[in-house]
Amino acid sequence: MDLFEQIVEATVAGDQDRCVSLAQEVVSQGIDAFKAIEEGYSKGMSIVGEKFAQMEYFLPQLLTCADAMKAALEVLKSHLGEDLEGRTQGIVVLGTIQGDIHDLGKNIVKTMMQASGFVVHDLGCDVPVRQFIDKAEEVSADIIAASAILTTTMAHMPDLAGLLNEMDIRDNYIIMVGGAPVTPDYAKRAGADGYGENASEAVEVAKRLMIEKSKGGSQ
Amino acid sequence: MISFWDVFKRSEKGTFIKEEKYDRMVGQVALELVQKYGIKYDSECVIPEDDDLADRVYQAGLELFLELGIYCRDTGRLIKFSREEVEWALKQAPTSVTYGQGPDERVMTYRTIEDSKPPFCLNTPVGCTVAEERFVPMVQSYAQEPLSDTFSSAFSQTVQGRPIKSGTPQEVEAAIWNVIKLREAARAAGRPHIGIHNLVSNAERTDATLAAVQAEFGAQPNDGLAVAANSEMKIDYERMKKVVFLRHTGYNKYGLYGPIMGGYAGGPEATAIVHVAHHFLGLLAFEVQWHDGFPLHLMQGCNSTRNLLWLISITGQALARNTHLLIGVGPFTAAGPCTEMVVHEIAAIVLAATVSGLHLNLVAVARNKLPERSTGMEARIGAETGHLVARQGVTRKQADGIVKQILAEYESQIPSAPEGKRLDECYNLETVQPTQEYLDLYERCKEKLDKFGLDYSIL
Repeated sequence: MDLFEQIVEATVAGDQDRCVSLAQEVVSQGIDAFKAIEEGYSKGMSIVGEKFAQMEYFLPQLLTCADAMKAALEVLKSHLGEDLEGRTQGIVVLGTIQGDIHDLGKNIVKTMMQASGFVVHDLGCDVPVRQFIDKAEEVSADIIAASAILTTTMAHMPDLAGLLNEMDIRDNYIIMVGGAPVTPDYAKRAGADGYGENASEAVEVAKRLMIEKSKGGSQ
Repeated sequence: MISFWDVFKRSEKGTFIKEEKYDRMVGQVALELVQKYGIKYDSECVIPEDDDLADRVYQAGLELFLELGIYCRDTGRLIKFSREEVEWALKQAPTSVTYGQGPDERVMTYRTIEDSKPPFCLNTPVGCTVAEERFVPMVQSYAQEPLSDTFSSAFSQTVQGRPIKSGTPQEVEAAIWNVIKLREAARAAGRPHIGIHNLVSNAERTDATLAAVQAEFGAQPNDGLAVAANSEMKIDYERMKKVVFLRHTGYNKYGLYGPIMGGYAGGPEATAIVHVAHHFLGLLAFEVQWHDGFPLHLMQGCNSTRNLLWLISITGQALARNTHLLIGVGPFTAAGPCTEMVVHEIAAIVLAATVSGLHLNLVAVARNKLPERSTGMEARIGAETGHLVARQGVTRKQADGIVKQILAEYESQIPSAPEGKRLDECYNLETVQPTQEYLDLYERCKEKLDKFGLDYSIL
């Protein structure tokens, strides 16, 4: 089994010690750290994500695997060079929208996005629309992602696109929405660019929208 | 021995811990207890008749509650209890709760496992989104069902044409409108004094809820409110404010717990333990009279899956065997109205619940997600099935055999369940009566369920 296969195996097993020692091996052997991430840790997390989607893994296992990967990335971080930010999947500002205190789904999306290479700024629960935008401006985000589990709080979602339009910065951001009462139809009516039925879908949609954005496609 | 204000004090003085750490601890402790108590989900035994297993699930739930405590999100502090305090609260727990008045008065009492006493049926569209002009017909379709012991609310998309946004003045207006319209629906159903078990379900903020729960808007003595825990094992001051109001006014209050199978707790065994622990949370922190669980599958958003049926059954049995708590469950189906699948899913969940000592909060359909997809017919299907299961004297063993036959009808379709039909396609909205199509479909399903062992002729 080559090194990358071992990394995949250790990540899927959520074996933090092994993930870290393999990362150290990557460094000591002078192997490209990005390649190790893409073909090792990220690949492993992709398998973990599939297992989670199939409920072969539950959230505690998903978090353990994500922790193992994060610990390994700490080892690799200083070997990634200066263009680290340019090689992330994108910058996301994430939160549960105003009035809503439910965060399980949002936290799963966060974990899956981070594992897929996105930099995620988690604003937590009960986040006013204005705060999403202020943070997005502050960190030059690519994506603003909002979650809601209640119909009364979901009603704040259209204000995201509305306020961005008023501020004349709508085109700077991809808006994604999700959560129990949110349907693809509602997402469209709320002016969102993307919708995820679940965390895996949210990550795939985010990746696709980032590719479209990089090609200069309309959001 | 311990009061609500003791709990509040602990929420200010308990050990501080970060929420993320607590979330992780839930899964870790639950897993340890699954192993310690040898709790094992068996996919071939959906409705277990293993009393020892039920007792172990109970003991593990109690131990988890004592070890973890409740997390207060406002202060980040743990609220912990002693075993003696929990046992004292269990002894003090109500043995009955009364809803409604006069001819519509109904009393919920404790049910045992395999009880021949029918479950109490709290019928509701569970906040299904509906157009404003169809709100009253939708909720009336529940209130008018003869087996509805109480009813509750849908969620109007607008009120006076304006969308409802949490935290705004419109939320207060909408909450008041909700109570007025629920009582209007009760009158239209010919049951003006039927109990409304949750007067306000369209307001997230407590100020809006409290503004609406007034006699002049239609609230009557013996109506009530739900007080919800946050998954898993968390509370906040917004919910605790409701408790203070309810302690002073005497409206009924029940605890609402929705543990997520696959979420922070983990798999079905660990989630079962956490679900049992939520009942102690409700009893001690909210002082509720009865307990309503709606455990859900993280990916499917329903509880008609095989492992959730097991979880519903074993947690019901655990609590019914070891306490006299008044406990219920809210069925959540994947399929929508007027489909064979929704009838089968409701029958399966109700069967698992009824033989396990539970009452019924009927019913969230189409994953409680799709607008206009909820009707009184689903409540009728659930209530009739619950009544016949009890009166027929179905045992857990028989129920297990029947439920596996029902599962074979729909299990593989859960991920792609049919959305079903809208209220206006299922009911004549002038008469608020179900269509012949829906009635015929239910009859066909009953014939099939009859062959599996459910005798609808005794109704």
